Amino acid sequence: MPLNIDWQQILLHWMNLAILAGGLYFLLYKPVVDFMHKREQHYKDMEDKADRELQKAEEAKAQYQQKLEGAEEEIREARQKSQAAVQKSAEEQIALAQAQAREIVVEAHAQAAQAREKAIRDSQRELKRLASEAAEKLAFHKDDDPFDSFLDLAEGGSKHESR
Amino acid sequence: MKQHKKGLAVWVLVIVALLIASILAGTNGRAESVQEAMRDAVLHGENRIAFLGGKTVSPALISAFTVTGLLLLAALLLRVFAVPRFKLRPGKLQLVLEEAVGLFHNMAKSNSPHLNKFLGVYLFTAGAYVSIGTLFELLGLQALTTKGHPITLPAPLSDVNAAIGLGTMSYLVILSGGIAKNGLKGVGKTLKEFSLPISMSFRLFGALLSGLLVTELVYYYVSLSFVLPVVVGVLFTLLHAVIQTYVLTMLTALYYGEVSEQLHKE
Repeated sequence: MPLNIDWQQILLHWMNLAILAGGLYFLLYKPVVDFMHKREQHYKDMEDKADRELQKAEEAKAQYQQKLEGAEEEIREARQKSQAAVQKSAEEQIALAQAQAREIVVEAHAQAAQAREKAIRDSQRELKRLASEAAEKLAFHKDDDPFDSFLDLAEGGSKHESR
Repeated sequence: MKQHKKGLAVWVLVIVALLIASILAGTNGRAESVQEAMRDAVLHGENRIAFLGGKTVSPALISAFTVTGLLLLAALLLRVFAVPRFKLRPGKLQLVLEEAVGLFHNMAKSNSPHLNKFLGVYLFTAGAYVSIGTLFELLGLQALTTKGHPITLPAPLSDVNAAIGLGTMSYLVILSGGIAKNGLKGVGKTLKEFSLPISMSFRLFGALLSGLLVTELVYYYVSLSFVLPVVVGVLFTLLHAVIQTYVLTMLTALYYGEVSEQLHKE
């Protein structure tokens, strides 16, 4: 054969290549490619997980946003309610205070009337007492015998008048 | 500082002395002329090695088996000691391995998106074989010829049989892709590129052989054996390794992708 081409040697080279291909595939190529796929899958899973988490977070954010908007409405209503309640309570308290004030005034009037009546009664009683004391003083003078005085008074009071 | 200068002077003196001694010593006469050496580098007719004690074969076949043995041993060591320690955040060795495997894996995927599992394995094998096989000649491993002369084992692909072996194997792989995807039409599509195995084989052979011949020539003459081998022996070999690996794997991937493309029915 030209150039010393030898089919037997070519076949031996093929066999050599077949051995090399099989050996390299099982010893190096497959394990390394498997590892690279595994790592790729690992990062893909991580990315998917991150995407899912992100989606969840977005949903939660939307929900909270919705809730927040609802809460603002609720706050406004609650504020209105509380303002109304406060106003109502204030009005009630004012009415109560006015009622109490009226009662106090009425009571004060009553007490004043009672005090006046009492004062009148007391003054009348005092007047009576003073009158009776004066009468006694007049009637039971120390130098006179009470019985004589009485008799004098009964007889016409001339002695008394003369004095 | 003085010590450095002294050391430098001694180093230069030793080199000059060795140069003069080598020139004065001369050679014991050539066993073969430069023509015979070049012819043998191409044909491997004279310096042959007994294969398994029987048939004599080209030294390149021994190189091929040695390269395969070295590659498989390295792969085994890596499989046992490195691969189980792979981490999600790769270290230097892991990065190199992943880059080497990923290069051919991605080349197969990008050129043949429909069918690429076997192609990836083949490209990785061919790439490792061509690149390491080319660099193998730098080791300068010695073997004994049937005539008892010592010989430096050449790059496997500097032998025409190895180049034909790899070229035709690549063609058969391309053919298998065509059959797997398109059946008989795939065979027809592949056979249209009938010149492919020849061009692939002889491109490899020519590229590797030219490097070998230049190296043979340079080493044949003592006067050319200084400094020059660093360029022609090492740099050319490195370039050959990279270029031939890229060319062969890229061509195989391209044609494989072409013939394994799904044919659309009109």
